[in-house]
Amino acid sequence: MSKIQEISKAIEFGKKKIMKGLVEEALAEGCKPIDILNQGMIEAMSVVGEKFKANEIYVPEMLVAARAMKEGVELLKPHLAGDKSAVLGKFIVGTVEGDLHDIGKNLVAMMIESAGYVVIDLGVDVSTEKFIEAIKANPDCNLVGLSALLTTTMPSIKKSVAAIIEAGLKNQVKIIVGGAPITQEFADLIGADAFAADAASAAAIAKAFVA
Amino acid sequence: MIIIGEKINGSIPSMAKAIRERDEAFIRDCAKRQAEAGANYLDVCASVEVEFEIETMKWLIDLIQEVTDVPICVDSPSPYSCVAALPLCNRTGLVNSVSMEGEKIDVIFPVIADTKWECVALLCDSKGIPNSVEKRLEVFENIMKRAKEFNIDPSRLHIDPLVETLSTNETALTTFAECAWEIKKRYPTIHVTSGLSNISFGLPARKLINQAFMVLAVNAGMDSAIIDPTNRDLLGMIYAAKALLEKDEYCLEYISAFREGLIGPLPKA
Repeated sequence: MSKIQEISKAIEFGKKKIMKGLVEEALAEGCKPIDILNQGMIEAMSVVGEKFKANEIYVPEMLVAARAMKEGVELLKPHLAGDKSAVLGKFIVGTVEGDLHDIGKNLVAMMIESAGYVVIDLGVDVSTEKFIEAIKANPDCNLVGLSALLTTTMPSIKKSVAAIIEAGLKNQVKIIVGGAPITQEFADLIGADAFAADAASAAAIAKAFVA
Repeated sequence: MIIIGEKINGSIPSMAKAIRERDEAFIRDCAKRQAEAGANYLDVCASVEVEFEIETMKWLIDLIQEVTDVPICVDSPSPYSCVAALPLCNRTGLVNSVSMEGEKIDVIFPVIADTKWECVALLCDSKGIPNSVEKRLEVFENIMKRAKEFNIDPSRLHIDPLVETLSTNETALTTFAECAWEIKKRYPTIHVTSGLSNISFGLPARKLINQAFMVLAVNAGMDSAIIDPTNRDLLGMIYAAKALLEKDEYCLEYISAFREGLIGPLPKA
């Protein structure tokens, strides 16, 4: 197995502790940092996302895989400095006003970060104003995600998306929405660019937007 | 153990379908089975868009009251919907729920103050779910202050210290248990409640986690639970745990429940 494949396996199985050794060995063997990132890490998390979608692995296993990836990315950072192709963009995400549920939103943030975005997580119960402020404060933000679990907070998604469009920010960002009661229909109705049913799909969409 | 039957909830896909299709028989049957299994309250949650919520609640409550006298537990994230549903109920029941978020207490407490309606109170506020026992107890004390303002006796409150998912938070049960102990210590007549299914979200073989949680929660003082009363295994755990904790003199309730066919293996046909 090549070093990059070993790194990939380590991430898939959440082996954070051996990451340092593997990354050092890979670099020593002459593997390019950007290849280690793309083939060894981002690809691995993509596999993890698909396994989770297929119910082959469970939430805690996704969390430890992401933890191993984070460790790996930290180790690669000094070697990637200046390599712009490493960063796909900036993703601002939050659960909308009136809603405190965040597990799905957190998994989406994790997967999109693993796909190569920098992530700003605004948390839960995020007002329209807070979303808009955050987008304006981050001109390099090119993707915004809104999440809701309750049918009673779907109107908050609608309101926030409408406000983002009205503020003329659609030139800057694409909007992706999700959550248990959300459908493609709803996303189309409110003017969002995409709907994702799960974290893996969200990451795939995020990658496709900048491809 | 106060049992609140959880099945009439539109966030459950099969129930959402029945609500969409206005399947009266399905609703009546569900209410009847939960009542026969010994539910003390029947939770009713429409889980539809706000503009349809009250008419849907009315449709559900009317159907339930056709087949059983078990009091209703009115369930909505909107305090206005909760309040609108109260007059639709034939007898006093339970409001699900208030918390320190937004205006929930301002809307609900004044309406139930001079009645016998009981109320579930969640230990969260507009900042979200507090991430420590101390912070949850702070929210608890704020809720109790408001309850005192309206003369709502602690025995009318069912405090839900909030159960997070074990898959994303290893302290999910231990935090819950510490809160429950402390709450019962401060107000011995108050009830401690919880929805069950959160704890096992994201893990395989959820039933095992749910059952173990039930036993540990009863040990921590939980005396009210939002569950599927027709789940014999879970109900069995409740009776067994209570007997083991000296809360069932001579194990007579346990034996009764078994004899009535509510718990234990189903008699062979």
